[in-house]
Amino acid sequence: MASSETEPPPAHPSPKARRRTGALIAAFVGLQFLIPLTYLTREDTGDERFTWRSLNAPTAPSCETSASLERFDGQREAISLQKLIHQDWVDYVGQGRRAVVDAFLRKQCEADGVLQVELVNRCDDERGTREYNLRCGGERAHETVRTATR
Amino acid sequence: MKPLERYWFGDVALARPYLLLRFVLALLAFDTWLNMMPQGAKYGVGAFNVAHFPWFDTFIPSSAFYLGVLAFTGVLALSQALYRPHRIAIVLVAAGYTLGWSCSLLDSVPYHYLLTLYLVCFVFFPMLSARAAFSRSDRAPRGSIAPYVLFCVTTAIVYFYVAAWAAAEGQSYWLPMACCAAYLIASMQDRAELPALRMVAPVLMAAPVAFHLFAPQQGWLPIYMIGIAFVVFMPTPWIHSVGRTLTQPARSLVEGRSEEDGTDERAAQVFYMSLVGLVVAPMVSMFVDMPGVKTGCTLTAIAMLFVMGRQLYFTPRWRPVWRVASLFGGCLALWITVTTSTTRFDYYREGALDADRRGDHDAAMMFREKADRYAP
Repeated sequence: MASSETEPPPAHPSPKARRRTGALIAAFVGLQFLIPLTYLTREDTGDERFTWRSLNAPTAPSCETSASLERFDGQREAISLQKLIHQDWVDYVGQGRRAVVDAFLRKQCEADGVLQVELVNRCDDERGTREYNLRCGGERAHETVRTATR
Repeated sequence: MKPLERYWFGDVALARPYLLLRFVLALLAFDTWLNMMPQGAKYGVGAFNVAHFPWFDTFIPSSAFYLGVLAFTGVLALSQALYRPHRIAIVLVAAGYTLGWSCSLLDSVPYHYLLTLYLVCFVFFPMLSARAAFSRSDRAPRGSIAPYVLFCVTTAIVYFYVAAWAAAEGQSYWLPMACCAAYLIASMQDRAELPALRMVAPVLMAAPVAFHLFAPQQGWLPIYMIGIAFVVFMPTPWIHSVGRTLTQPARSLVEGRSEEDGTDERAAQVFYMSLVGLVVAPMVSMFVDMPGVKTGCTLTAIAMLFVMGRQLYFTPRWRPVWRVASLFGGCLALWITVTTSTTRFDYYREGALDADRRGDHDAAMMFREKADRYAP
């Protein structure tokens, strides 16, 4: 193992050092090959992180989003996303990024007396209308998709 | 050696890892200050955050935290590019940079993940001095540096997947695939037993340069990748002479004085000078006027103290002074970069716009006052 100080030109490694380094290299290269493949198993196809599908920022258009919550007394209240979170998060929610949608709905459930929270994304494209409904206490919102009729 | 071992452990011109490490670290410093810091006002808004990894989800990074991490990472990275890098410092840069982007999905720039992979490779690079990489003779020193080959293979894997996804979608994929092959081949070009590769490798540079000039990409990725391509593909004598020219002032400074001169009686002076420097350098950040930056720079000084460790008192040489000077250089560069660019203006303007949108008028007024002060 090389020291942490400035070193002379590195010598050729011994067979034992080569084996050890080889194992580390194999693990690192193996991970780099496997991580992008996880995209094929992702439920959220908009999530292209660590896959090298694009070297540009994701450009999925945002949909029209509305959210509301229902209290234990049956009262319903509209939620203004723009007043609560940064516009970038609103865009993520509008694109239907599941991790962000779930986190947003869970966050609304933290308020007192909230029974359930609902979020609707209306898109003009093939994504159609998607409704996310979270009964407070749950971890993951129930998703309903209505594809747009053309 | 088996063929696979020959691939990973064959000779590499030391000029390449030397220049690669410094080029990426220096560019990373300015990238964090000019491109990432202006985005800082988004963090912590509405106490809402989703991290890249689930184990971070309960943590909500504030603006000050994000900017502090970026200041820490940038200053430490530049100080390592300016003077002999230290492995512990590279580990800290890798950790700081990764923490910076991974703490929130607000930073979903694809190449930030690539830079983390590069920094992991750098941790295992030999910490070469200019004298070791560029000997006095015109012969380029060579050595077995598997982490450098790993760096090239990491780059090749990125191009491989860019090509593979393009092919899966029926798009043209030959250019990124050519880049992938070029990096796999170029990592072997310094080997004495493969003279033909020395002729071919520089020509292969055209593939990554063309790809990054013409394909749409985000941020400074083309600058990183074209610079890296120059270091990896340039013929050995050229890269050696470029490196010799760039390091000439540093080498003449070190070679001009003997490492052993001035011993015990000067140790105390060096110790006190270094300590004063470590305290004074972060003070430069007081003039930056962005939240978290002072803390970030102070933490960099503490990290530098940790990096120097015993060297600070027990090395009767000028090395600690150079290290502190490199920290000074990093802090000064941060101050000059932030004050001469639109970083501060963009940060405060974004903050004002967002606060207005959310109806937080007090915050909007505070942000707008600062934005007006720093308007270009």
